[in-house]
Amino acid sequence: MSMDTIRNSFDGDSSVLSWETWNQIKHTERFVFLSSVLFVLLFSYTFGRAPVISDVFQGYHGLAMTILIWSIFALGFNLLLGQTGLLSFGHAMFFGTASYAAALFAIHVYNEPLLVVLVGTLAAVTLGVVAALILLRLHTVYFSIVALAIAQFLYFLAREPLVEVTKGINGLDIPRAPLLGLVELEHEYSGLVGTLLVNNLYIFIGAFFVAVVALITRIRKSPYGLIFKAIRENETRTAFVGLDVWRYKFAAFILSAAIVGLAGGLMAVNTQFAGVERLYWSVSGDIVVMTVLGGLGTLAGPVIGTFVFFYFKGIVNGFPTLGNYWLLLLALSFTAVVWAYPDGIWGMLTDFTAALRDPKELLSNARQRISDLVSTGGDR
Amino acid sequence: MALLETRGLTKEFGGLTALDGVDIAVEEGELVSLIGPNGAGKSTLINTITGQLSPTAGDVTYAGTDLVGMKPFEIAQLGVGRSFQTASILPELTVRENIQVASFAAEHGSFRVNFLRRRDSFDAVQEQTNEILETIDLDSKADMDAQSLPYGDKRRLEVAIGLATDPDLLFMDEPTAGMSPTETEMTVDLIGDLLTDWGMTIFLVEHDMDIVFDVSDRIFTLHQGQLIARGTPEEIREHPAVREAYLGGGDGA
Ligand SMILES: Nc1ncnc2c1ncn2[C@@H]1O[C@H](COP(=O)(O)OP(=O)(O)OP(=O)(O)O)[C@@H](O)[C@H]1O
Ligand SMILES: [Mg+2]
Repeated sequence: MSMDTIRNSFDGDSSVLSWETWNQIKHTERFVFLSSVLFVLLFSYTFGRAPVISDVFQGYHGLAMTILIWSIFALGFNLLLGQTGLLSFGHAMFFGTASYAAALFAIHVYNEPLLVVLVGTLAAVTLGVVAALILLRLHTVYFSIVALAIAQFLYFLAREPLVEVTKGINGLDIPRAPLLGLVELEHEYSGLVGTLLVNNLYIFIGAFFVAVVALITRIRKSPYGLIFKAIRENETRTAFVGLDVWRYKFAAFILSAAIVGLAGGLMAVNTQFAGVERLYWSVSGDIVVMTVLGGLGTLAGPVIGTFVFFYFKGIVNGFPTLGNYWLLLLALSFTAVVWAYPDGIWGMLTDFTAALRDPKELLSNARQRISDLVSTGGDR
Repeated sequence: MALLETRGLTKEFGGLTALDGVDIAVEEGELVSLIGPNGAGKSTLINTITGQLSPTAGDVTYAGTDLVGMKPFEIAQLGVGRSFQTASILPELTVRENIQVASFAAEHGSFRVNFLRRRDSFDAVQEQTNEILETIDLDSKADMDAQSLPYGDKRRLEVAIGLATDPDLLFMDEPTAGMSPTETEMTVDLIGDLLTDWGMTIFLVEHDMDIVFDVSDRIFTLHQGQLIARGTPEEIREHPAVREAYLGGGDGA
């Protein structure tokens, strides 16, 4: 098949370069991997330090790490909503529970960042099994609402009855511990490495980000990627070809919980803290906004959505006067983007690049969109 | 023993009896057709056998297994495939992917842990998908989104998905509805191939009487949920109750 030969020629050595080969290349695993590495290498610098952008951005290295972690969260959430079509309004349960488990393990058992993150992930998986057994009996809006109810239940549980364990609204503080007992996470580099990566903590988080992107790319290219989409498109048909839809949904749910749990564990390590607010319903809501805004079901979408969300929250928020309206501004942009581009910002960008190659396509796309909006009354 | 057998199969929707004590038997390798006017209960019979609906009363056995209470995916895994009356495809997936989903189910069973392996490395699945694409003559449109196919092609894709599950017994609910004459002819040829080359058993619901009388080994006639006649095409053509209920009075048809 010609597609394979093109892929192979990229994996080997490519001499032809056209839009068509580019379309093939950008979907190869190697390209996605290299892009995510490059992104991590340049992200903190361009976002937090580069003098070329603006001094408003100066000193946002910490925010860069927060964004990487929330991107992992959004990628895990998207696996469920974007790929499989299950909308959970309670994903804070995995983020918050993993954070607590990580902190408790670090405080009471053993404080080693890798192990701590692993324990957080496992806690989320365990919770995922229980939640899935309840939630996968429910459909559509009941699934979403009961997910929210479970997360809120855990929030109140952590806040009051378990106050001895969780320290309630004060939360748990974790001392900083070296990686594998050797590597200080806060060690700062000098020179080029220092400029780009700053410290070991950023490298630690960045490595997990790259690993999660690689894992999700692989899942998308596996039979699961296809079967998840089939379930999203037409559950009845998928069952009638002989697939156990329940088990595949269960798998999607657990994989999603694991990735979100990883983000929760990383958050505990990053902030040296675990608190009840990570279980709060607004966390579940924020992740829906980020994922949908960036582009459901895509790989880059959730990352872009997370970035834009934090740009508003962390940076527009700091602008004089305008800053007070950051949430309103975000809501307006959200509505505008999703109304015109159901595939989010990433859908908008791919549309534009397609248009750059072929202006005629831009015109026909625009026409199509307008006629869609008119015919559906814009309620897509 | 018959491959498929129903005994006293009854399905009620509230006060409406859509199936009323239906007894049928389908032998391995034959093509049986089910005819009957709109609302006779033809689709309901298929739905009840394949697990989409559970019967109010009665038994269904397939190759000695009791199907009542089994889930649709389990029945499909036993080798019972179906194509739906209204095209039930996966709209945002490509034509190839639509077929591939069914091929994975046929090759790997109802569930398998393989999310770390790329799907293009499963050669048997790729081969089967390509074979179906060729058989149903959709290979030139393999990379189109299913939703952008013209209506007749969607109908063909519907049949292709059913085929890709690699069934021993295939239910086809009005496969030619909405097809052009050429596509209809192709589908009739395909049905012939499925019987002779693929060794399938086919249960066909079809409104086009020329096709039914042409391809069927035996014909069942359903009327208001009751089986009013069964027999060879010749017998059904002459059957007074059938002429009365379905072929439109004494003469005609
Ligand atoms: N899920 C359902 N709930 C309630 N009534 C139903 C349901 N499915 C079918 N019916 C009713 O049962 C009767 C038989 O319907 P069915 O679809 O089996 O007919 P059919 O023979 O397939 O007709 P057609 O030739 O129009 O496809 C009809 O009166 C229909 O309205
Ligand atoms: Mg019908």
